[in-house]
Amino acid sequence: MGIPTVFVTALPTIAQMVGATRILRGVSITHPTGDPSLAVGDEHAFRRRIVERALEMLATDVEPITVWEVPA
Amino acid sequence: MMNGRPADPPLGLGTYEVVEASPGPLTSWEAGNLVVDLESLRGSAAKEPAVEAVEVHLVRPGDPVRVANVLDAVVPHVKADDPEATFPGVLGRLAPAGRGRSNRLGGVTVLSVCDLRAAGLVEQDELYETFVDMAGPGAERSSFGSTTNVVLTFTPRPGAPAADVDLAVRRAGLRVARDLAATTIGSAPDREETFRPIGTGDDGEDLPRVAAILQVGSEGSFLDTFLYGLRMEGLVPTLLDPREVLDGALTNGAYEWAGSRNATAFYQRSALIHELFEADGKSLRFAGLIVALGYLNTAFEKQRSAMLSARLAQLLGADGVVCTTFETGNSHTDTMLTVRACEHLGIRTTAIVTETNGGLTDHVPEADCIVSVGNEDELVPAWSPDRVIGASAGRAGEPVPTWAYLGATCQTGDMRWRAVPE
Amino acid sequence: MKIVHYLNQFFAGLGGEEAAGHEPVRIEGAVGPGRGLGAAGLPVDVTLACGDDHFGEHEADALARLLAWLEEERPDVLVCGPSFGSGRYGYACGSLAREAGRRGVPVVSAMTPDNPGVLAAEGAAYIVPTGSNVTEMRTVLPVVAALAGRLARGEPVGRAEEEGYLPRGLRRNELADATGAVRALDLLLAKLAGDTRTEVAPSGDRVPPAPAVADVSRATVALVSEAGCVPQGNPDRLPSRHSNMWLRYPLGGVASLDADAYESVHGGFDTAAANEDPNRLVPLDAVRELEAEGRIGKLHDVFYTTTGVDTPVAAAAKFGQEIAAELHEAEVQAVILTGT
Repeated sequence: MGIPTVFVTALPTIAQMVGATRILRGVSITHPTGDPSLAVGDEHAFRRRIVERALEMLATDVEPITVWEVPA
Repeated sequence: MMNGRPADPPLGLGTYEVVEASPGPLTSWEAGNLVVDLESLRGSAAKEPAVEAVEVHLVRPGDPVRVANVLDAVVPHVKADDPEATFPGVLGRLAPAGRGRSNRLGGVTVLSVCDLRAAGLVEQDELYETFVDMAGPGAERSSFGSTTNVVLTFTPRPGAPAADVDLAVRRAGLRVARDLAATTIGSAPDREETFRPIGTGDDGEDLPRVAAILQVGSEGSFLDTFLYGLRMEGLVPTLLDPREVLDGALTNGAYEWAGSRNATAFYQRSALIHELFEADGKSLRFAGLIVALGYLNTAFEKQRSAMLSARLAQLLGADGVVCTTFETGNSHTDTMLTVRACEHLGIRTTAIVTETNGGLTDHVPEADCIVSVGNEDELVPAWSPDRVIGASAGRAGEPVPTWAYLGATCQTGDMRWRAVPE
Repeated sequence: MKIVHYLNQFFAGLGGEEAAGHEPVRIEGAVGPGRGLGAAGLPVDVTLACGDDHFGEHEADALARLLAWLEEERPDVLVCGPSFGSGRYGYACGSLAREAGRRGVPVVSAMTPDNPGVLAAEGAAYIVPTGSNVTEMRTVLPVVAALAGRLARGEPVGRAEEEGYLPRGLRRNELADATGAVRALDLLLAKLAGDTRTEVAPSGDRVPPAPAVADVSRATVALVSEAGCVPQGNPDRLPSRHSNMWLRYPLGGVASLDADAYESVHGGFDTAAANEDPNRLVPLDAVRELEAEGRIGKLHDVFYTTTGVDTPVAAAAKFGQEIAAELHEAEVQAVILTGT
């Protein structure tokens, strides 16, 4: 019995190829859950939205190998 | 003027075959015999301030020699009608490449060797071994195992900045390549090829239009590709005259993985560009050459670049595109995203990639037409050379993975290797 | 015929879990299932054994010692296992098979098709597929013995589909008649004419998505990452590349991955941005905020970390199975996994 897992990655095509089931497009290879170009407060709010989106995906039944984005 | 367009002169490329190469008092080429003044070449290469010492070796196919820590391979090449503009922007004066008259030697390659790790210029795990075997089971893995090689072994000046050493080694190798080819100026070539600007022929209006997307990488010190002498980092997909690529506008400065490295020689010899010119007007129309970066850092940058490449292909009127790949790892994602972007515009694609023991590095469903240039993890049987140039041990007596041989799985399509089910 | 048999600590009679750290040993003759091989016509000359944990934690050393014995014995065939569903044992069998194969020794093993040992073997072994139940031993041993005997005698073995072993998935290099460039243009023109062919296609195992979390606001969520995130100073020496390990670290009372307490040792990307703020790799600060607001039930009290660069697929599969087993044991209901 599997544990629902969201994979946050900047390379969703590789995740798709290996068969990861819930994939959330991350920001960058070097900072999947952050963005140094944002001001600290904005970056923190952005990271919250990434995690919220991840939680949303965990709570959703998906077709195998689904990629979601984080809304701006 | 033809068809009311300003003149765009053809590129005449003369190949001068070398059947015999030997050391001698004066560098010269005469009727297939190349004499190489090793001391003079050594002195020319050692003039670079960031270089402390240079050794020069001449090795031939069949010699029991392994050349290790090879950085780049360059085909001896000179702009015969303007030698000072050879390898423009990096060695020569800045001038458009791809026109006029150029000479190159056939059967000879200049190999630049430097143990960057021993010199402390890169970390132990940043770059990996690079071999060219002149005999033994690995000789056929690298195309330079079958050319006579002028090997330049560089010792950097201690304390010299990495960027200075990088430029010095590249420039010295290109200078030697130019000076070797310059011996042919004034002689008649064994083979003459003429490359006219694409799109100027009248044949084959109904033939499919095919473009190529050449992927390069430029991630920083010892990981760069150079266009007219400057790093290509930040490059937005752009058009090049394919003749510029044949004529020295693109030079390699990326040394991470040997097997899939685009040595400068692969740009100069470019089998893909040659085949496209050869087929132009017969089975296809050569629509153009797009150059784009791989290894972009973010999904956004990768998708944007793929989109821009596909848009350029569309502007060229391409019906089909061949996508090449630069090195291993996440550059394969750039290739696959480019395939997808083209296919979504109705442009059919073929991608050229290398495999690993774990299969393909990346894939998209639209990539239904792939050329495999080989399994880079396959082990080549052990060999014990009599001599190793450029390293102390060089894995003598151990099996060597295919990825350690220079260009063994080059993804520009220059090699005949491919992987098949066992 | 010289036959060598590899077993783990349990099947070699060295003990149970408490002996999982047992160093490699060499035992004269057959032990445990090896006697079953003998009864099936494959008499074992030498048995090599090693604790599954010892192998996992000291892989290079363990392999070196085992291979040194193999070098002395020069067997005509090596049998590893059967390891059935055991991931650690299977991984050891597959890894030994791969290295023995590189040294020219034919290898037969037996395990479940999704065992990480299959990937670890990289096609070097003929692997008989089994279920996860050890009670299959009596039916599996004769199949293994027959296949191993033929390999030892140098008799030809047919294709996987015919003979009933798992496809080895090997791709070997050969020189084609034409360059990649010529082949690419031929394939492209054929595709444009309506005939699509390829020289290679992807292969990947497919796992159905786990059902969605019913109520995230009551769920225990765990953080896992391959971004190489460790406490400052990397106290347990997580490798920067080609990691042979994963680690877990407590998160009790930790609200954020501060730059002075955590760092990334990942060797596959520029860690500057991550080291300024490790939450950019593992979003702990955001998860804690949402936890305080009741958006999740709670954050699991440890996070799991490894370095995902140059990691052999087999090792990654093993890490995944091991971490998942712990998460399952701890009744974690959802995971956020970050990758670079």
